[in-house]
Amino acid sequence: MATSEPRVVGKSLPRMDGAGKVTGTAVYAADFALPGMLVGKVFRSAEPHARIMRLDTARARALPGVRAVMTAADVPDVRYGGALKDETVFARSKVRYVGQPVAAVAATTPEAADAALAAIEVVYESLPAVLDLDAALAPGAPLIHEEWASYTAIPILHRDGNVCNRARIVVGDVERGFEEADRIFEHRFRTGMVHQGYTEPRAAVAAWDSSGQVTVWSNTQLPFEVQNTLAEILQMAPSKIRVVVPGIGGGFGGKLRVGVEHFAAFLAKATGRPVKVMTTSVEELTAAYPRQGTVVELKTGVTKDGRITAKAGRIWFDTGAFAGSGPGVASVATLVLAGPYKIPNLHLEGFAVYTNKTNCGSFRAPSGPQANFAVESQMDVIADALDLDPLELRLKNIVREGDEGPTGQVLQAVGLEECLRKAAAAIGWRDRRPARWRGKGLACGWWTTTGGSSGVYVKINPDGTVALNTGAAEIGTAALTGAAQVLAEELGVDLADINVVSADTFSTPFDFGAQGSRTAFAVGNACRAAVDDLKRRVFALAAAQLGVEPEACRLADKHVLADGKRISLADLARLSQQTGGGLIAQGTFIAPPTAYDSKRVDGHVYPAFHSPSFHAHAVDLSIDPETGDVTIHKYVVAQDVGFAMNPTYIEGQIEGGVAQGLGQALSEEIVYENGRVLNANLTDYKMPTTLDMPRVETILVQHPSLVGPYGAKGVGEPPNIEPPAAVANAVAAATGLRLTSLPITAEHIALALRDAGA
Amino acid sequence: MSFEYHEPTSLAEAVALGARFGDDGRFLAGGTDLIIQMHRGKLRPRHVVSLHRVSGLDAIDANGAVHVGALVTHRALERFPAFRGPLRALVEGAEVVGGHQVRNVGTVGGNIVNASPAADVVPVLLTLDASVTCLGPGGERTLRLEDFLIGSGRTARRPDELLTGVRFAGLAPQSATAFLKAGRRRAMEISVVCVAGRLTLDASGERCLEARIALGAVAPRTLRAHEAERFLEHRALTAETLREAAELAVAACQPISDVRASARYRRLLVETLVPRVLARCVERVREQAS
Amino acid sequence: MSKLALTLTINGERHEILTEPHRTLLDVLRADLGLTGTKENCLEAECGVCTVLLDGAAVNACILLAAQCQGRAVLTIEGLARHGDLHPLQRAFIDHGAVQCGYCIPGMILSAQAYLQEHPSPTEDDVRAALAGNLCRCTGYQKIAEAVLAVARDRSARR
Repeated sequence: MATSEPRVVGKSLPRMDGAGKVTGTAVYAADFALPGMLVGKVFRSAEPHARIMRLDTARARALPGVRAVMTAADVPDVRYGGALKDETVFARSKVRYVGQPVAAVAATTPEAADAALAAIEVVYESLPAVLDLDAALAPGAPLIHEEWASYTAIPILHRDGNVCNRARIVVGDVERGFEEADRIFEHRFRTGMVHQGYTEPRAAVAAWDSSGQVTVWSNTQLPFEVQNTLAEILQMAPSKIRVVVPGIGGGFGGKLRVGVEHFAAFLAKATGRPVKVMTTSVEELTAAYPRQGTVVELKTGVTKDGRITAKAGRIWFDTGAFAGSGPGVASVATLVLAGPYKIPNLHLEGFAVYTNKTNCGSFRAPSGPQANFAVESQMDVIADALDLDPLELRLKNIVREGDEGPTGQVLQAVGLEECLRKAAAAIGWRDRRPARWRGKGLACGWWTTTGGSSGVYVKINPDGTVALNTGAAEIGTAALTGAAQVLAEELGVDLADINVVSADTFSTPFDFGAQGSRTAFAVGNACRAAVDDLKRRVFALAAAQLGVEPEACRLADKHVLADGKRISLADLARLSQQTGGGLIAQGTFIAPPTAYDSKRVDGHVYPAFHSPSFHAHAVDLSIDPETGDVTIHKYVVAQDVGFAMNPTYIEGQIEGGVAQGLGQALSEEIVYENGRVLNANLTDYKMPTTLDMPRVETILVQHPSLVGPYGAKGVGEPPNIEPPAAVANAVAAATGLRLTSLPITAEHIALALRDAGA
Repeated sequence: MSFEYHEPTSLAEAVALGARFGDDGRFLAGGTDLIIQMHRGKLRPRHVVSLHRVSGLDAIDANGAVHVGALVTHRALERFPAFRGPLRALVEGAEVVGGHQVRNVGTVGGNIVNASPAADVVPVLLTLDASVTCLGPGGERTLRLEDFLIGSGRTARRPDELLTGVRFAGLAPQSATAFLKAGRRRAMEISVVCVAGRLTLDASGERCLEARIALGAVAPRTLRAHEAERFLEHRALTAETLREAAELAVAACQPISDVRASARYRRLLVETLVPRVLARCVERVREQAS
Repeated sequence: MSKLALTLTINGERHEILTEPHRTLLDVLRADLGLTGTKENCLEAECGVCTVLLDGAAVNACILLAAQCQGRAVLTIEGLARHGDLHPLQRAFIDHGAVQCGYCIPGMILSAQAYLQEHPSPTEDDVRAALAGNLCRCTGYQKIAEAVLAVARDRSARR
């Protein structure tokens, strides 16, 4: 930790990559092009569940400008995936969702590619479609994956038919806990499928060289994971596959895994030319990796003075036709269902369930908004029933420093109470119902900073600039600027002296990827490790030059200072290049594992929250009782960020996360009917516009983590979590209505008020 | 999406091309409906006749009767100074069409011919008893806008005709208009329901002389609520009469349930927005008088 | 289907283009002229990432036929900065932390530019209404509005 006032970290410095973005010169994967490039497009299933009886591509192949048409017959028979390998590049004998890839074409123009798609002949024999969770879980339900038992999966998963994982936390004895309770509350909640809504479609360009290596330029958030997946799919050594990320126009978890890279690679190989594949809005809203819809059942027992004695809960994730991130998300959900509360008896289960819909994935705080909506809505119902202030009920039960989390981890740096009190104060909590049809709502939660390792190379140039070489991709959060601030702080240089090279599996060190709010945390720490490494070389060289002991050296002001003498880093770099190969260093980081009680978990892929963050949201809103329209007067977030590496960009993460959270709360849903998406366009998939977003007041609370750089914690995902519950609680305060299904639209509110006789 | 592109430089040339191509052709104004439908594969005209070099169709003439050329953009409509007063609903309807990028190029004529039952300016024009002019090889004809709109996406325009403008008489004294739109977002919305109203009050301002109510997105075409209008005429305008008028308007709709809203909610919105629109008209007449 | 010979004026430069009639201004900018600063997404005038200025007015390039731009002046994000100096809006977007992933930003800046040219003293509500046709998924719009307001205030102060 810094002992003196930080110079660079903690400052709201402008992001390093801003100039390219505001001038339109930054190149995103969607912009990337190579000479001679062909256009690749995907032919997708029109049936939710069907056998492929006939697939004939001859007419398509014969069309002018068409250079390749590929189906399952043309690619290795491989099943790939994350925790569970159930996916194939193209459907083989069966299609399992409308939008599932069945073939791909490469042509000289978009029009020729479209004509090829139109010329592919396919005959399906419909199978009974499993349209929702109830249908998937019913006894005798059609199996979406008849051979599920033969799939490779990590051994820890509990799989059975249409359930591709069941994760569980058991603590104490819930039945006894319910007996101790004075009141028991049971509720059922439902949340809809929502899309990450990034404004840049998924895109990849692939090109093979004459030595049999392929380079894929992609907007993936996880270049190394995509490299490995492509290796499995292409049946090649990973080292022969180079994944490069030129730039990403938003990811939010929707661009983690292969989406179009494999099509581009196969088509490029078949044609001998570079091929670009890019998704359309329709494909994004029907065949991407959206957030799972859920059903949650929650049962909580409390004493009459509001102490929680037991909680039992089940959350089912409609994870679509392939597992995607389902198994892991179902695990994380159990920790969110527990909530940041001290509860001695818990029985919490998360299920990932197959249906004939698009395979869902990860979206910023996967399981967070869905499970938190249930937990925090129920807390308010409990408070009202016990005639307790919802803030007081929470303060009575929240975890504090040194308490145990649900899986036995010891919680440290717990800033939750401060977040709750500050959010409540900022919203004017004393006056919860300031006017008729107006109310305020609170919600709180906790989240993780995902682990995984990061490596960096650092090099000092003879002009005094510093190169930071990282495998991490910048997805827009300014995490790499944050990491660079750490590097600049520790090296004694300015942020402007640092240049970042990133996200190239060939030339940058491994990084676990831009996911789980981990990038600034892990890359920042890797930079600190690199500086330790660098200091040894720098001080040894400086000591020799200055005639001092290495121990007397320190870095400041772009120089090494020792015993009143100084020498610039630039000079040292130049000297080192002449005599010793240059001033270069490496740093790696992986967070130490978080200790937890393994007896409490089962089928669990994510048994502890690392360097957890804590957060509280508060909203003040009014309802138009006739139309149901919601007007938000004020929205406040208090988030324990550990240490605010760059306050402006952290505020940006919070403001943007709340926008996505409010979208899930009020207006967004991918609507399926009979296995088909009804609103696969941006007219009817309703993301908030400038006029829909309130101003968000952010309060940065800092309880430094023990592990993060300068005490930082992950900040990007949490703001997505609490908005649905905060809104539901405020709507309840304003109307007396308890709405348990997301999105809470004006229609729902208006019709519920009518039905209640208002 | 291939087609032959034509760029007539006069109205006569445009009409001649329309006659030649008939249903194989489409006139292109702003393109905010046509191009999108072509991209989606819903329309595949073999000929596209762009009107952007045809002069004389983009003027607004408001001396007494009002004439709005077919190529007047929503932006021009929302900025026209004479529409800030009693004709304010024209601005209110125009300014909620898409975002400003769409309003900068989308035209009133294109919007009318596209005949979406959820159109925003169309209901306002209906409350103004507007009529449209179509020019074909056989000459010009004028139809009431209400007769011109036949169904969702369907109008009485013959394949060889070009809509050239829409006109309506100036408002009588003691008149005001208002427009309200309901949607799931506050911008970039296709109306879940929209309501336009026009009231002409008597000299005392208490009694209605003439009423017009038009409803969007509750039927295959934008609808006039005739019974509600007749009910209001010569009646005192109280909260009760406005409510009763709204009930009659609800009875006149045939809303569907779709991904945007249920029929029940649409009826509820008509029931709610009609009195609000009418109350606003009354308020405006009183403001204008003082 | 015959190709059209068009002369398009983009950022003050004349370009001779030969292209099929159905091709949009967005197609020509990105694929033919390599001007990828104008972005591609929904292709249905719903998201605004393709916003350019046509004779000073903000429009969606994705639904504008290239042919309709004959004889008109197109300004893209590449044409905004002069002689390598950032335009005040570009500067302000960086200074106010309004840029995250950046994909919506070129369209956002051009929409703001068109608006401020005609409305020099907007309120925050005015700015938000002006940008309602530009979707951003990263920022929640707050710092974008602040950046635009700052530029407007700066310009007023200097008058």
